[in-house]
This record gives sequence, C-alpha cells and structure tokens, in this order.
Amino acid sequence: MPVKSYLAHPEEGQKEDLIKALSKIDHCDIIPAKNKDLLIVVTDTDNKTDDEKVKASIEAIESLKLLAMVSGFNTPKNK
Amino acid sequence: MKKRLGIISLFVMLFLAFIAIWNYSYQLGLEEAYIPIEDQNHLYAIPSESGVFRRSEHALDYSNMPVDENHQRSLTTYYENRAYHGAPPSIPHPVNEHQNMGGQSCLKCHENGGFAEKFNAYAPVTPHPELVNCKQCHVEQNTQSLFKSGHYASIVAPKAGVNHALLGSPPMIPHQIQLRENCLSCHAGPSAPIEIRVSHPERVNCRQCHVPNTQEMTAVGTFKRAGNEE
Amino acid sequence: MQNSLTSRRKFLKKMAAAAAMTAAASMFPGIIFASEQDANVPKGGNLDWKKGPCRFCGVGCGILVGIDKGKAVAVKGDPNSSVNKGLLCVKGYHQIMCTQAKDRLTHALVKKNGRYVQTPIDEALDLVANKMKETMEKHGKDSVAMYTSGQSTIPEGYVASKLMKGAIGTNNLDCNARLCMASAVAGFLTTFGADEPMGCYEDIDHADYFITWGNNMAEMHPVLFSRMLEQKNRRGAKIIDFATRTTRSSTASNTSILFEPQTDLAVANAICYEIIKNGWVNKSFIENHVNFSKGITNMGYGLEDNYKFKDKPTKINFEAYKKFLEDYTPEQVAKYSKVSVKDIKYLAAIYGDPNKKVVSYWCMGMNQHTRGTWMNNLVYNIHLLTGKISQPGNGPFSLTGQPSACGTAREVGTFTHKLPKGVVMNEKHRRLAAKIWNVPYERIPSKPTYHATEMFRAVDRGDIKFIWTQVTNPLVSLPKTSRYRPGMEKDSCFVVVSDVFPTPTSDVADVILPASWHIEKSGLYGNSERRTQHWDQMVEGPGETTPDAWMTIEVAKRMGYGDLFPYSKENHVEEIYKEYTQFHEGAKHGMAPLEVLKKESGAIWPYVNGKSTQWRFNAKYDPACKNGKDFHFYGKPDGKAVIWQRPYEPAPEIPDAEYPFWLNTGRVIEHWHTGSMTRRIPVLHKAVPEAYIEFHPDDAKKLGIRNGEHIKVSSRRGSCVLPASINERGLPTRGQVFVPFFDENMLINDVTLDAFCPISKEPDYKKCAVKVEKA
Repeated sequence: MPVKSYLAHPEEGQKEDLIKALSKIDHCDIIPAKNKDLLIVVTDTDNKTDDEKVKASIEAIESLKLLAMVSGFNTPKNK
Repeated sequence: MKKRLGIISLFVMLFLAFIAIWNYSYQLGLEEAYIPIEDQNHLYAIPSESGVFRRSEHALDYSNMPVDENHQRSLTTYYENRAYHGAPPSIPHPVNEHQNMGGQSCLKCHENGGFAEKFNAYAPVTPHPELVNCKQCHVEQNTQSLFKSGHYASIVAPKAGVNHALLGSPPMIPHQIQLRENCLSCHAGPSAPIEIRVSHPERVNCRQCHVPNTQEMTAVGTFKRAGNEE
Repeated sequence: MQNSLTSRRKFLKKMAAAAAMTAAASMFPGIIFASEQDANVPKGGNLDWKKGPCRFCGVGCGILVGIDKGKAVAVKGDPNSSVNKGLLCVKGYHQIMCTQAKDRLTHALVKKNGRYVQTPIDEALDLVANKMKETMEKHGKDSVAMYTSGQSTIPEGYVASKLMKGAIGTNNLDCNARLCMASAVAGFLTTFGADEPMGCYEDIDHADYFITWGNNMAEMHPVLFSRMLEQKNRRGAKIIDFATRTTRSSTASNTSILFEPQTDLAVANAICYEIIKNGWVNKSFIENHVNFSKGITNMGYGLEDNYKFKDKPTKINFEAYKKFLEDYTPEQVAKYSKVSVKDIKYLAAIYGDPNKKVVSYWCMGMNQHTRGTWMNNLVYNIHLLTGKISQPGNGPFSLTGQPSACGTAREVGTFTHKLPKGVVMNEKHRRLAAKIWNVPYERIPSKPTYHATEMFRAVDRGDIKFIWTQVTNPLVSLPKTSRYRPGMEKDSCFVVVSDVFPTPTSDVADVILPASWHIEKSGLYGNSERRTQHWDQMVEGPGETTPDAWMTIEVAKRMGYGDLFPYSKENHVEEIYKEYTQFHEGAKHGMAPLEVLKKESGAIWPYVNGKSTQWRFNAKYDPACKNGKDFHFYGKPDGKAVIWQRPYEPAPEIPDAEYPFWLNTGRVIEHWHTGSMTRRIPVLHKAVPEAYIEFHPDDAKKLGIRNGEHIKVSSRRGSCVLPASINERGLPTRGQVFVPFFDENMLINDVTLDAFCPISKEPDYKKCAVKVEKA
C-alpha cells in the first residue's frame, strides 16, 4: 500500500491548470506551497499497479513540467 | 562522375550537418538541468552538533501534538530495560524476524514512532536511525532467569528536575550524549518519558540554553586561575 | 488490526506530506516563552523582578532579574522585549552567578614592593589622580592614556571621553571595540557616511533568506539565530552559512558553503559580477541613490610601529566598476576561493532575485580582517546594486559582540578619533563638544593619536607612561600578547586596572580598582539594532566596589576638573545621560528620553516624536529623509550611498612549508570573550572547562593526533599548548586549526598576528600561519 509524496513543477503560468487536472485524479492529494511555483502531491494507493497508474496519469497532465518524488512509504500488507 | 561527386558531396554535407547538430545537442545536454531541487546534504560530520537539529523538521508537529495521557511512559519504565543509564535498551517485545540485523524492520516503527496497538504503547524513536545493525547493541530478553546470580553493581541514574543552577533556569544535560545527540528523539513526542518530555520542542536549538555537565566523565570543579592557589 | 492499519496509513500520509512541506507552514507570532518559565518558578515567592539588558553580547536581550531579600537569585527573559521575546541563552540565564565567585575584587589593591596591599578606595583614587597628574606634568598630556570598552555603560564612556578629550585635552582614548567593531564603523562611514545598521531585528520576521558571512550565530548570537530557526521551521525561510569552518550554525542551516580564508573579498565581487552580468541590477535605485568610488590599493597591513594610512577616494562610473569586476568571474574566483562556480552563482541568484528578501549577517569574520573595511563595503555593494536595503526583510546587518559596542564605543565615541558627535578632525564637531562640555574649544586636539594596537605598542616603546583600563582584559584579548604583556610589565608605564575579577591584565597592574558589576550599578547600553536600554541598580555590590563612571569622576575631581563633573553620586547616571543626549538632538540620531527608557524595554534611535525609527534611510519609516525620494542616504552630503571598487588582496601571512596551518580563533556559546565572568559561572565552566585546538579529522590522522592529546601550536610570534579536539564542537577545513580565545591559562593570542585593516585599524584574529606538534 504505497504512500508517496512528490513535488510537482507546473509549466510557467499554468499552476492553476495543474491544480485542476490533479484534483480530478483519485488517490491523490494536493497541498499548495505558499510563495512557491510548485505543488506538493501525496498519493495513497492500494497496490503497486494502482500506484503506477496514478503516477502515469499525473505525468500525462500537460501543464506539468516535472514531477519529483520526495518520499515513499509502504505499509505491510497482511499484518 | 559528376553524379558520383554530387552524391559524395551530398553525403559529406549530411555528415557535417549531423556533426553540427550532434555537437549542438551535446552542448545543450551539458547545460544544467532545470530541476532546482534544494541541496539537502546535511552534514553529519560533527555528530554532537549536527545531531541536535536532526529531527528539528518535526519540531512544530511535536509542539502541536496532544498528550495521550493513557499511554505515557515514565522514567521508571524507561530505565527498566536498561542495565544502567546510557546502556542500550534491550528489546522488550517479541521479534519475528530472527535472521536480519534489524534495519528496516526495526526502523519501520522506531524511526518515526507512532502507536502500536499490539503493545498498547508508542514506539520510542531512535536517536541514531543511521546505525542499522540494531541487534548489535539491542537484544531480546528471552528468559527471566539468570545463568548464575551475581552481585551486579548499579549506578544511580540522573534525576529529572534537579539539574538547574538557579530558580527557573534551564537544566543542564545530566547525561552523556554520545549516540544520543538528537535531543528531540527522546525528549519529545508521545513516547518520551513524562518527566523528561520537553515543554517547548519548537525551540530546536536545545544547546543554546542546555549545556552538558561533564561531571559524569571527569568532575570539573569551579574555575581556578593558573598559578593562583585560591 | 484494521484500525491500527488505517491510523498508521494516515500517519504515513502525514509523514509523506511533511517531508515535502517545509515551505508551506504559515507565519506565527514570535517567541512567547517566559510565561512558561514563570510556571517553573515557585509561586508566592517574594521574588521582585527587575528589568535590564543582558550583560553579555551585542544582541541586547531584555532580562528580568529575580531579587530575593536584596540578593539576585534568578534570571529570565523579558517577554516585553521585542529583541528576545522572553528567550535567553545559557550565559544569560546564569549571568548573576559570577558575582558570587570567591575571588571577586572587593577592595582596591595597590602594589607595594611587589605585593598587593588592600587599600581604602579613597586613598587608591588619590594615588591614581596624583600619578596621572604627575605624569602629565613631567611628560606632557599625551603620555597618559585610557583604554575602555564596548562593555562600558553609556555614562562610563561619556565621562571617560570628557575627562580625556575635554578636561585633559588628549586624544589618548581608545577602547576594545577597536578589536571588534572598527571595520564595521569604517564600512558604514565610507559607504553611507553614518554609522550603525539601517535595519533592525524585525527583518528576521520578513526575510526569505538569511546569508551569514563568516559568522557562527548559533553560538555567538544564539537568540537571534533561534529567531531565524523559528522562521525557517514555520515559514520556510532559508539560512545559508558562508564560512571558513563548519560549525553548529552550518549544521542547522539549509546550505553550508565553505571558502578559503581571505577570499570572501573575491567571492563578494564575483557575486556583484554575476548580478550585473545577468541584469539583476536595480537600475532606478542605482541612478537615484548611488555613487561609485575607488580607493588606494596595496595598503599594507600595519605590521610596523607608527604605521600610517589615509585612503584617497576617487569617483568612478558604473562602466569603470563593471570593467573592474571582469577579473572576478565565478570561474576565476572559484579557483582560489575553493567555492564552486555553482555556489557563487547560487548566492548571486538569491541576491539577484527581485522577489526574494535577503538579509546578510556578519560579525567578527568580516570585521577582524586585514581588509575588514573593504569587506564591509563589498557586502553593501551587493545590497546597493540590487536595491535590497533599508526595507523590512532586506538589508545588510552588521552584528556586534559587546553589549554596548554601539551604545558606548560608537555613539559616545570612545575612540581616539571620535567625539560624542562626529570626529575630532572636524572643527564643527569640536566646537559642539566644547560648548556642551563647557571647555575652551582649543583644548580638544584635532589629531587622533593611538588606536588600540598602537596604544599598546606605545606602552611597550615607553611613549605612554600611564594607562588606565576599564571593563576590559587586553592581555587576553589583544593580538600578539606575547609582545604586549612584557610591554605592560615594564616599569616605564604605571598601570591602573578597574575590574570585577582578577585577570591577566590586573596581574600587571600597579593599582587595581574594584568595579561594580552590571546589576550593582545603574546604566545604559546600546545594542546592534540601535536600541538604547536602561536599567536601575538592582543589588548592592560587595565591599568597596564602585561604578566605573563614578571612579572616573572621582579621579577627575581630584585632578582639579571638579567644575566639569558636577554630578551627584546617587543620580550621576541620569544627569550624564541628559547631558549626553544634547549631542544627538535631531531627527537623524535623537535619543529616547530617560523616562521612556525606564518604562519600556529599550527604544531604537533615531527616536523622533515619541517613536523608534526601525528602518533608516527609507522615507516610509525615517522622518529624517528629506530629498522627496523613496530613499535618502543623508549621511553623505549628496544623499547618495557609495559602491566601492575594492579588489581581492591576499592575507599578510599565508601558510607555508614551515608554518603549514591557518590559525583561526573565536568563541564558544558557553564563554563570553576572555571568560573572566563566564568561567566563574559553574554551569558554564563545567560545560567547557578549557580551551582546545580543533583539527580536521584528516589532518589529525595524518599527524597521528588523537582527541585530547596535548598539542603545541606555534607561530613566528609565540606558542601555546592545548588539548586536541577532533569532531567535537566544530570542524575546520583541511589545513586549518581553530582555537577559542576565552582561556587565560592557554593564551592563544600569544600566537596571533597584530596585522590590522589600514582603514579601520582593527586586527585580524582569524588568519595567521602556525605549525603544530605534540607537546
């Protein structure tokens, strides 16, 4: 059950578009960072495949310039 | 002949163009990438100094944390699994993975702490998560009996609340800090023993006010001038 | 189980977010802390809390001292003081304990046949006055000197200046602030024509970046550093440490950049080069508010006696300045500064970004520098080029090390060239002083005489035959004490030392006068942010201890200047302050009246119409701005600040085959300056009982040195034996060693070099060449 956080850098002047696009994706929280031209994205999915799907759909957003992972955690599955 | 020359010169042109374009893109590639990620290389070179600040990014979280009064530790329970104060604590709970050295399986809970329902307690936070061979120093207690009984000497652990010099002045650090340079790991958060939990974890520069008392190693008297008997 | 899993998952999510979120935290009000400390003090006690400034550093924290039956028993931070908002450092919390030390000087001691004999204070003062008079009669008035301190209170500095310059008529008055703040003063005067920082500590609450130049604030200005850390954690402000040694500050900063000693000059120029090259110059600011100048280069280092230097400024234009900077491309500078091109560009980009507010902080790293004045000028250049000055959160800020380096040494002017307002060289300033002092104008000499280093050289040469030191310990704090100690021991000079404790300086005295400590007298201090603070006497001092100001007045009376010193013993502090403030009347330097200072935890000058001026030279905040523009640098006749063309020049002594290490000296958080007070506080002494010599672990390994081993460090001037310290408090770069100077039993200043900045005359304690061997 991977939990990951990313820094999302929008294309210049397209921060708002990026926020809109991101908010449409499930399992994905956005945290605004003040005075910064970037966003914090936290994803929380049930398994590796979902995680990859979410990542792929984020990366497909046009207003996104760059997505950089900051940290990742994995909760144990069966305990 | 002319035709052949034409073809050769075409290929030469193409080749030159290729070199030019390749060079250009190679030069572009040499330019710095855009990613302005901050340089996060923390310096752990001077442990006693850098360690103090290591958990400071969580300081605000600590100060906002409510106190869970039902699951607090006290100094008594804190010292229970230590042979003497400053000794590495033994592992007070069963361990499933017997073959590893500890590492990630211990750090899962002990790097950042949190409530463990299984033990009805908060996991203590390690002040030295970079040392991953946990079981080198921390071992399980699999029996309550002794091989042979003995006269084991004991030393008195420092008491809390008595280490200040003046009314209300900040207490000195009454213990050594080797491997325990990170103050917040033991003095803040829900797993901190209640007597030594700091009331102001947001003030991260601990040693601005709390200085070590070297008494434990060598008793230092008061200041004496050289060549002055007084 | 499911429950714990979801909570764990939530927790992990929070952790993941926190890891990426340092920048997102919003602003909170400042530190409110004392209320909590209050809770720890038993309730219902008879403690009477009295307010004052802290005795130690130049930050000037407000303290409250708990008095129980006439004894000081506790200290806490003053929550009403905007400086520290209730927080102190370990020195501040324990300061009152030093007064109870066993070897406190309680009575006057006069040396008779090689032994100190306890003497009634009146008799001792008679002796001092007679000796001073006799020396003047025999050898002229320039044969007597006074050496005071940035720890002297405002009244103490004022009466010393009045006695020497007004009554006696000699400029033989200098102070230990020459050793710490002179370069800052010269920097301010050359660039702005007006001394002291334009901003204030509130800048910390607004800035996005703090860049510290050769300054270990976590240990030396801990309360300010804690305010910065708070902004870092809450608001995501960034601290960038630019230094020659890795310290506690480096480990707490976002970025630590190391440079080779002395190359800060080149790096500052490289930053300016980048700013111009990338078009980050604030053009309208430059056009309206800035002139360009250059001065004399290859000035020398003042190593020879009677060294003289006078700068000759020449006006230049922007193009010439730009041309000059071409020698300082990041690529060229990186080669000898050991700062990477990337780091230089990074620093320039921070200063150059118009949307980022930047404060530069510095203290001894830049001031104790053979090109200290230049270095101060260069940092001002950066701020002037980008127009980041005199605004909340934007500005250069020169920190001070002593509690009244600003208030007394710089504002009262206890330097040889200074008067309470202006300088002795200026006729108008001399006339003003003569008028307020009620002395003939001709009596105040127009030529400065000895600055600190030269004053002790003159003692050694036998030119000065009487010296009186107050509130300072030069035989620990001067550079090259290996020359000046024997100099002061000579019979040719009569030495009077006023102090609270015996020190290596009082050891060579002919008369020792017992001074009152801080809270045993009333007084005023002025801190780094131009804040004047007053305190009333809180406890009685032991024995015959007497306030320094009063001892000076008593000596003046005995010398026949009684009519110039008509003050009363009970109220002399207030009477003197009222007389002194006449010097600074007006919008540019008006001082707060005593009634205000008694009520409030200090006030910042210029104090105009009942209000402190927080940002000088900015028309929005400073009523003295009169040119109708946004900024007015009214210290200069044309209202414009100066960008100085100052090159990189090497240090006077550079490590070589025989002396292969740089020696850097400094302080630790636990001890203050020469340790005469802090070492007598048990908490502090136990934490750091003695000095040490820090090595880089690689150097230690190469030399086979282990932690704690005794090491002899020697230079061409002297040597000193200290225990080695590896990977403890600090980490010098390879090829550098560091020694704190607080330990009078291990005098590192026997080893240091007495080279100084030719403009400011401030010595460089941070760089000289030494060798090390096992003792």
